[in-house]
Amino acid sequence: MTDLATLPPSGALQAQQKRVRRRAPVDWTGFAFLIGLAVVILLPLVVTAVWAFAEVWRFPAILPQRVGLGYWQETLSRQDVWQALWLSLRITTTVTVISAVICFPAAYAFARLDFPGRNMLFLAFLSVQAFPKFGLIIATATIFLTLNLIGTFWGVVLIQLVGTLLYMIWIPVSAFQGVDRRLEEAARDVGAGPMRVFWSITLPQALPTLAAAILITFVNTFYETDAAWLIGLPNVRTMPMVMIAFINNALEVQYGAVLFVFLWVPSFLLMLAARRVMGADAFAKGLGG
Amino acid sequence: MIAALRSGVAGGRLSGLLLVALPVALLIWLVLWPVLQAIVGTVYFPGTGFSTASYAYFFTDAYSLRNLWLTLWVTALTSVLRVAVAMPIALYLRFRSGPVAALVQALALFPMFVPSVLVAYAFIRVLGPNGIVDTILVALHLPKLASPYLTPAGPIIGLVWDGLPLTLLLLLSGLGRVSIASVDAARDLGAGSFTLFTRIILPRIQSSIIVTLAFNVLGLFSAFTLPFLLGPASPEMMGPYMQRTFSDNADPLNATTQAVITFAFCAAFGLIYVRAIAKGRKAPA
Repeated sequence: MTDLATLPPSGALQAQQKRVRRRAPVDWTGFAFLIGLAVVILLPLVVTAVWAFAEVWRFPAILPQRVGLGYWQETLSRQDVWQALWLSLRITTTVTVISAVICFPAAYAFARLDFPGRNMLFLAFLSVQAFPKFGLIIATATIFLTLNLIGTFWGVVLIQLVGTLLYMIWIPVSAFQGVDRRLEEAARDVGAGPMRVFWSITLPQALPTLAAAILITFVNTFYETDAAWLIGLPNVRTMPMVMIAFINNALEVQYGAVLFVFLWVPSFLLMLAARRVMGADAFAKGLGG
Repeated sequence: MIAALRSGVAGGRLSGLLLVALPVALLIWLVLWPVLQAIVGTVYFPGTGFSTASYAYFFTDAYSLRNLWLTLWVTALTSVLRVAVAMPIALYLRFRSGPVAALVQALALFPMFVPSVLVAYAFIRVLGPNGIVDTILVALHLPKLASPYLTPAGPIIGLVWDGLPLTLLLLLSGLGRVSIASVDAARDLGAGSFTLFTRIILPRIQSSIIVTLAFNVLGLFSAFTLPFLLGPASPEMMGPYMQRTFSDNADPLNATTQAVITFAFCAAFGLIYVRAIAKGRKAPA
């Protein structure tokens, strides 16, 4: 039996732990990385954000001479910006909806059904990753040329849709695999039909991951540049194309900066939400880590 | 889907195939068929027969060769730089935890959320002529640096920035296979940091490094947006070169030839990369 008297008084252990923790060496390496990364990663974004609110910023002043929302008004009253935004939203929504409609059932089949060639077909989606992307776009564009799809809405939708296949199948497959089979069996034991089981048990469990896949697809498609450029121009000018025009033609520095802040903040929030659901390692696993 | 559930595993054969049919058809039509078409279409011409003239042109044209050479060395240097930058961060994150480490990880993964068009824009504001770096140098009464904008250094810096998060994640998942116990044991026996890295850690993450390099090469070899916006106009990397040949010169034959040449240069890396993922992630039994 333990002699109570020899035990340290309650709370002593915690105090000890606290002392140990306090004695832990300061994480100097961490601070060094932190400062280095803060400069390299955040400085470009901060500078751009400042430009968006700078009405006058002449070299070599460290800070803008005049700040205000003047350029916001000017940029957001440009017709090309709104046309491109509307077009981009239409293309992106079309791509995401079609992708979800054709990929999610396929993902369910890969995860749950047994059919001939399943493994081979599943891995076939990887072939997209085995080619340098822009080369693949050129090869597809040559086919689109004969089909008169260059410079059309559906040409851009199709090529961007192909780019979404891998993730819209692979991410949901792991979601459907993660569904607890015992719950499904239990539901079936108490008399639920297959349809009821799918809607009430399977789908709700997979839903967060499916939603994350949709968010990631939406944001990535919105900003997709390479394919939109080659297939879409000159008729189909998506938002990134307008951004590129602002960079190349150097109209006013601020136009680009305003669009940067205006577009990037909402997409960043969407991606944060997606990552919260999926976790960073899921991204890496999908990439072969 | 519902029919499949009802019919059970055996009867699910047809439903399974039907459910995957559309994405598979799309994959065949818009990936495999174009690749095949590109390879065959650049050497076989209906009516005239076989000809490798477009390849002969590419490999004798001085400008094409300069573009290829630029692409090769920029790809090699950028891949190595990405790993060199990400490796110390990955090592630190593997063996440290706490609030500082969490912040370091969040910052290093941040570029994942910045689309490359926006990276290009921000880059010009920072390192371009009269950018913030010039501004700071002038404020400190130092001479301005030659701007990397529109030189090969431009896309290299931009691409390293852009690719840091995925490189880091791939290395981190490799380092997950290095047990902390083995590192502690080696340290107890008196191994220094360098020995530790080369003798204990490196052998265990060799395959991860190869996969990371392969992934980077595939992405970099035909990179388009950043080289186009930040790089020199001549010579140019294969991405912008293919785009110009296709769109500006309206010359799909030579553009496709260039695409097939990039496929050939990347074939080995594609194979390494795809095999690595396939091994790690078979469809469920």
